[in-house]
Amino acid sequence: MPYSRNRDYFGFVARMVPGTTTILFALLSLLPFHVPSFGSIAPGFALMAVFHWSVYRPDLLPLSVVFLAGLLLDLLNGTPYVGLSALVLLLVRTGVLSQRRVFSHRPFSILWLGFFGAAVGAFALEWAFVSLMQVHAMTPRPFVFQTLITTACFPIGSYLLALAHRAMPALSA
Amino acid sequence: MRATVQRLTLPFLIFVSALLAVLGKADVLLFDRVRVVLADTLAPVLQVAGEPIVTVSKAIGTVKEAASVYRENQELKLANQRLMQWQEVARRLESENEELRNLVKFAPQGAVSSVAAQVIADSGGAFLRNILVNVGQSEGVTRGQPALTGDGLVGRVIELGDRTARILLLTDINSHIPVVVEGTHERAMLNGDNSDQPRLVYFQPKTPVKPGDHIVTSGSGGVFPPDLPVGVVVSVNGVIRVEPYADLARLEMVRIVNYGLDGVLPDGAMPAPPPIGGGRSRTTSAR
Repeated sequence: MPYSRNRDYFGFVARMVPGTTTILFALLSLLPFHVPSFGSIAPGFALMAVFHWSVYRPDLLPLSVVFLAGLLLDLLNGTPYVGLSALVLLLVRTGVLSQRRVFSHRPFSILWLGFFGAAVGAFALEWAFVSLMQVHAMTPRPFVFQTLITTACFPIGSYLLALAHRAMPALSA
Repeated sequence: MRATVQRLTLPFLIFVSALLAVLGKADVLLFDRVRVVLADTLAPVLQVAGEPIVTVSKAIGTVKEAASVYRENQELKLANQRLMQWQEVARRLESENEELRNLVKFAPQGAVSSVAAQVIADSGGAFLRNILVNVGQSEGVTRGQPALTGDGLVGRVIELGDRTARILLLTDINSHIPVVVEGTHERAMLNGDNSDQPRLVYFQPKTPVKPGDHIVTSGSGGVFPPDLPVGVVVSVNGVIRVEPYADLARLEMVRIVNYGLDGVLPDGAMPAPPPIGGGRSRTTSAR
């Protein structure tokens, strides 16, 4: 892998961590959060996972897993556009990989800002696609809201993923 | 060779997902089957995973309630007084109703059965308004049946598995429900547009609709029975918007009711879906 410069060795279980957490995060966004004033729009957890692992361990998050996570999300959330999330997540991964140097070994705020950019891109793409397919410009409000709430929840997601990341060496033993 | 495969994986997967997303609209039936099986399989997982969330939100709710116990108590006392009066009225009307029914030999509507369902997944997307519940065919649910809360209509069953059912909320862009304005009996359609308040579209406006008007189902089309409470008109400036009675953002339990209606065509009885970009709605509307 051209982008893996880490010399640490991870066992089979540890190598599964990025993929597994990405799938789990995709499922997380489907759970019915009844938190007051949370609204019916859930944060895009899958986006967080794909972003996080694309920055830190892209070698352990194969494209096929990103594709499957997106497909699973689409099949379970009842969208008429199965494949849209897969497309968005694949593009986010590609975009993040190309900008990876900007994020590595930088303070969290830079990472957060980068994630905001990725979220704007992802949800703008979704908005454009759905508008195109519905032959009618969708009201952008829910998309803007989802971008904001996803960005606001990123530190939580990022913290959980970092925990999983730190547990990886222990899992290899 | 390996390098070539690796280089082509990304364009290939991007192409496949884009193709699926565009074609998905044309071949919904295949995806429907796949996703019903998937939802059925993952239902127990989602249900277990949802438990802590339910607990947390209940805890938050408890704290909020405790804070407002006194004020609520005062309000309840007033409401109770008012309800006692209404009870009196209802008793009188009930006996009057019975006398009148005897007079005209009116037969009430067929048997109604209902099943309570727990919400196990929420589409959560910006352009989707649907929920997945933990009852399905094995509990006697069929497509098209309305889902209600104690407050009012939530939506209807659009997809059915053995143990799961997907309910299209009345706020979804694909939801079109025939309704009437209570009092004026003006017929209209309630069309979702993914916002929290669906739009009311009139066929022939005769009596102007005003904020505060109550909207109930009309029963046209045979999907919903007449007179299910839907919502209340909140704004009439240009677009008429209706606030649903049911709190759609925080659904935990819904009731799926069998009114013995069969207004929705069974699977496979539908004509082939329109070509890509042709139709605007994926599902059969309740027309």
